[in-house]
Amino acid sequence: MKDIVPIRKPWAGTMTARERFNRQMHYQSVDRCFNMEFGYWNENFREWPLFYENGITNNAEADIFFSFDRIATVSGVNWMCPPFEQKEVGRRGNKIILINRDGLMAEVMASGKDTIPHYLKSSVTTPEDWKRVKEEHFDISRPERKLDIEALKAQHPEDRDYPLGIDCGSMIGKIRDMLTFEGLAYACYDYPEMVEDMVETCCRLVEYSLDQLLGNLTFDFASGWEDICFKNGPIVTVPFFRDVVMPRYKRIRKKLDQFGIDIWYTDCDGDVRPILPYLLEGGINCLFPYEVNSCAHPGELLDQYQGQLRIMGGFDKMQLGAGREAIRAYMKTLEKYVARGGYIPFCDHRCPPNVKPEDYLYYLDLKEKTFGLQA
Amino acid sequence: MILEEISRNLQAGKARDVKALVQQAIDEGIPAQEILEKGLMDGMNVIGAKFSKNEVFVPEVLVAARAMNQGAQLLKPLLAEEGVKASGKVCIGTVEGDLHDIGKNLVRMMMEGKGLEVIDLGTDVSAETFVETAKNENCQIIACSALLTTTMGVMADVVKQAEAAGIRDRVKIMVGGAPVTEEFCRKIGADACTPDAATAANKALEFCLAAQ
Repeated sequence: MKDIVPIRKPWAGTMTARERFNRQMHYQSVDRCFNMEFGYWNENFREWPLFYENGITNNAEADIFFSFDRIATVSGVNWMCPPFEQKEVGRRGNKIILINRDGLMAEVMASGKDTIPHYLKSSVTTPEDWKRVKEEHFDISRPERKLDIEALKAQHPEDRDYPLGIDCGSMIGKIRDMLTFEGLAYACYDYPEMVEDMVETCCRLVEYSLDQLLGNLTFDFASGWEDICFKNGPIVTVPFFRDVVMPRYKRIRKKLDQFGIDIWYTDCDGDVRPILPYLLEGGINCLFPYEVNSCAHPGELLDQYQGQLRIMGGFDKMQLGAGREAIRAYMKTLEKYVARGGYIPFCDHRCPPNVKPEDYLYYLDLKEKTFGLQA
Repeated sequence: MILEEISRNLQAGKARDVKALVQQAIDEGIPAQEILEKGLMDGMNVIGAKFSKNEVFVPEVLVAARAMNQGAQLLKPLLAEEGVKASGKVCIGTVEGDLHDIGKNLVRMMMEGKGLEVIDLGTDVSAETFVETAKNENCQIIACSALLTTTMGVMADVVKQAEAAGIRDRVKIMVGGAPVTEEFCRKIGADACTPDAATAANKALEFCLAAQ
């Protein structure tokens, strides 16, 4: 990585980041709050003078630039291997039509403007398609799925001072990516056995990674990604989530428990409330990077599930974009939850470019003043 | 009895059964409008109400809408023969710069379930296209969707251009999407922002009926 000159000093502290993270997520006293952010839209790197004038081009560089506490995750090969070959198949006006690495035909902006692609067609709609794709892309015995444990051990030594996570993949979110949002809804109804086999395949791939990693490295937390809720709740039915997805979480949780990993977050946007009891029952006990607008103030869930649920994120990006007064007012609402433990505040998802860079710096300053080491 | 059965099967997302039952109802001589209103639309109304109360979620709405569509295809030519007109006309789209269409598609399905004629402009739709379509097609409603905080601003352009085109007094502008709030709706001078797709469809129908 290139040389980056931080514009801010690390927050003062008396604990290591690892100690602090573990204590904070277990509701124990800490020197100060864990200091992290989830990152920024690609447009911020092009549009914020703060970034382009200092040569900051991506989130990893921004983490160093702002001197955030370090946090890292190790991942196995938990999805397609090999992926589909990404290729451009046509152009339509100001959009490019491509086949992406999940085999989806998608429309994206030719300008590179940040927006989720518009998905047009999946490679999988019937059990016959799935049989073929499973054989070609989900073979568990592929040599690429074997992890270089020694290299990972050298990269993340036992005496490290930062928290390290183990990636527990996705049980349904990646399947949604492969089938499309509507495609998954129809497939759950038309071919439930096929979808369950997909979930089982995902679970086996994650278990295969965990079997290689657990016991060889020590981990502080587990992580995952689903993105299966939106403004009006989950994109799979609640019974499907309870009966098909949640039991696979339990299988993973059992493996994590054997190695003392008791914090497991998943990245799930939107209104998670209808499925939250089943996330918790399956062993996922932390939401990251908790989205406010499509759900609720993080305090609402932290109060309701006090002692069971942790949250990372949850600083409303709309308030971040609304100026200093709004930032101040929202920060105030988070104080009691940071004090209680089990909550690490940062912008709920990538910080969008409508936030003024000077307001963002104000937010970082205020966050340090409020949650940093107190004199 | 058969109309109740159509409604029940539609709520359960049984597209093939709905199609067969609609054909049976046609064969029994039930007027197409009655099949539409007391069978298909009744079923969608139940699903819409449950969706608004968080008793069902998007997947249930999608499969119900698919079933509705299968039945409606059979009724379309008969409704035209019977001279049945839609309750109103809407043009809907995701605003310029934004390719998200899930929320927009849900609203479209719900509006169709209310018997409204919906022109789907797709995604990345400019303010000009919304306004021109509303003007040329005599729409009572322009419905704009956005998921990105950075594209919401286009909705304000739609309001301004509708005013400039002289159609603002006869076109209601509805806005929606994850970052869109009632406060934003008021600020840009739009007419409605609803919490979910079912409520949006109810509101659209209300606007159309009031305009008649």
